Amino acid sequence: MTRLSAIPGLPPLVACAGLLAVWELAARAYGISGLPPAHEALRELPAILTDKESLYNILASMKRMAVGFALALAFAIPAGLMMGRSRWVAAFFNPLLMIIYPVPKAALMPIIMLWLGVGDASKTLVIFLGVSLPVIYHSYQGARAVEEKMLWSAAAMGMGSRARLLRIVLPAALPEIMVGIRTGLVLALITMVTSEMIARKEGVGDILFNALAMAQYETVYATIIIIGALGFIIDAAFESLRRHLVAWSDPVHEIAVVGST
Amino acid sequence: MVAAGLLRERDTPPEMEVTLGSMIEIGRLSKTFDTARRTSHLALSDITLDVADGEFVSILGPSGCGKSTLLYIVGGFVSPSGGILKVKGAPVTGPGPDRGPVFQEFALFPWKTVLGNVMYGLVEQGRPRAEAEARARELIDLVHLKGYENFYPKELSGGMKQRVAIARTLAYRPSILLMDEPFGALDAHTRTGMQHELLEIWERDRKTVLFVTHSVEEAVFLSDRVVVLTRSPGRIKTIIDIKLPRPRRRAELLLNKRYQEYVVEIEKLMDNPGADE
Repeated sequence: MTRLSAIPGLPPLVACAGLLAVWELAARAYGISGLPPAHEALRELPAILTDKESLYNILASMKRMAVGFALALAFAIPAGLMMGRSRWVAAFFNPLLMIIYPVPKAALMPIIMLWLGVGDASKTLVIFLGVSLPVIYHSYQGARAVEEKMLWSAAAMGMGSRARLLRIVLPAALPEIMVGIRTGLVLALITMVTSEMIARKEGVGDILFNALAMAQYETVYATIIIIGALGFIIDAAFESLRRHLVAWSDPVHEIAVVGST
Repeated sequence: MVAAGLLRERDTPPEMEVTLGSMIEIGRLSKTFDTARRTSHLALSDITLDVADGEFVSILGPSGCGKSTLLYIVGGFVSPSGGILKVKGAPVTGPGPDRGPVFQEFALFPWKTVLGNVMYGLVEQGRPRAEAEARARELIDLVHLKGYENFYPKELSGGMKQRVAIARTLAYRPSILLMDEPFGALDAHTRTGMQHELLEIWERDRKTVLFVTHSVEEAVFLSDRVVVLTRSPGRIKTIIDIKLPRPRRRAELLLNKRYQEYVVEIEKLMDNPGADE
């Protein structure tokens, strides 16, 4: 057994196969229309992935996710670092952060739609909010934990405070920032789907909920599989990038995805 | 017994201690910290000390006496609450490359390799990369780390990290080395080795060194003068000239009568347990 589990990629494959088997058996045993057998949902996959309209929807979702995510990083990392290095900035933003963090971002969607409509802007903004909070929080924590003596060493070399923020605080906090970004990526995917569920115009979420409304349960489950696979691929790609970028650091604590949709 | 003639009392008028060749001038310096309960804590009081160019001065005292704070003030990292502080005749307003710190915590840049760390200050000061790298390699060699250029700090032992930190600071040629219990985190064996290496390096270019420690033996072994501070608030209790020949070797010194007397005398001054006969 130990030798088998040492093969990379085998345990997750076994876990997936197990889940599908349980699903298949449960579907056959109970015969509920809302729970089609696994093989029927899987059979829908090629149809969705070759359908032009579905692909367009998936790509539109991904585009919003990418834009919201990129904007969030551009805003949240500098904001978090400044909070971590300035007591005044932290005292000002921290209470706001603590209030906004636990609010489900999708719950803000109806209000945001009143301002920005049901188009890309609203959805991108919700994704932006979802990603920003964990990234700000971890950037803040990372910047706060930077050793004072490291900054002093840099100051003695003649580095000014802006140079230190960019070239000492940023790299020193990078392992912690990456933890926030990884959480942010998962939240980006979640808020992407939930925003489309509320503002039903296009996107992966729209395919899912249209299919649900029309009782096409195979499509519903197939879409859920696609979303799950997307999340898995994005996370795995990011994780390999992260390992590469912060190979110099001691392993950071295990990443727990905590957040709200 | 012997120390009576060696002690220089604190109540020497400050004017008499100021000489033209002094690298660091500290006059009636004090530091007060504000604590959480709106009370203030006097950490350093009435510190007057002159350090000559090329002198190796240790600051010795019980933990919490403010000896590190004094060093941080000279470094410009912490501002004093009162008094005068001049380096090469100019008042200190902040950190600067003329004063290179070495900390107990090493404070290396973990995302940089050994070479990257040692080069950092020079590159930061706008020197050409090739020149910075050549100088860094020279220093890495000096601290016996040849072959470790591409290692990251996390891959090094404590003693090696401190060697990197010393090389990183020496690289940008500060006139003054500010060493804050640099060997405090090292095991006894490594510590002794590092003390020797430091002396070897110091013998070469005779930089001014301000060295904070709580080890009496370390202070006596390394220094020209030992400044003993009192416990909270830190005041100068005594300044002792260490008239031991250089270059110094630990094995010889341990058998040296004067060395032993210095150690015992200072231990008594610090009220260390077991120092009384």
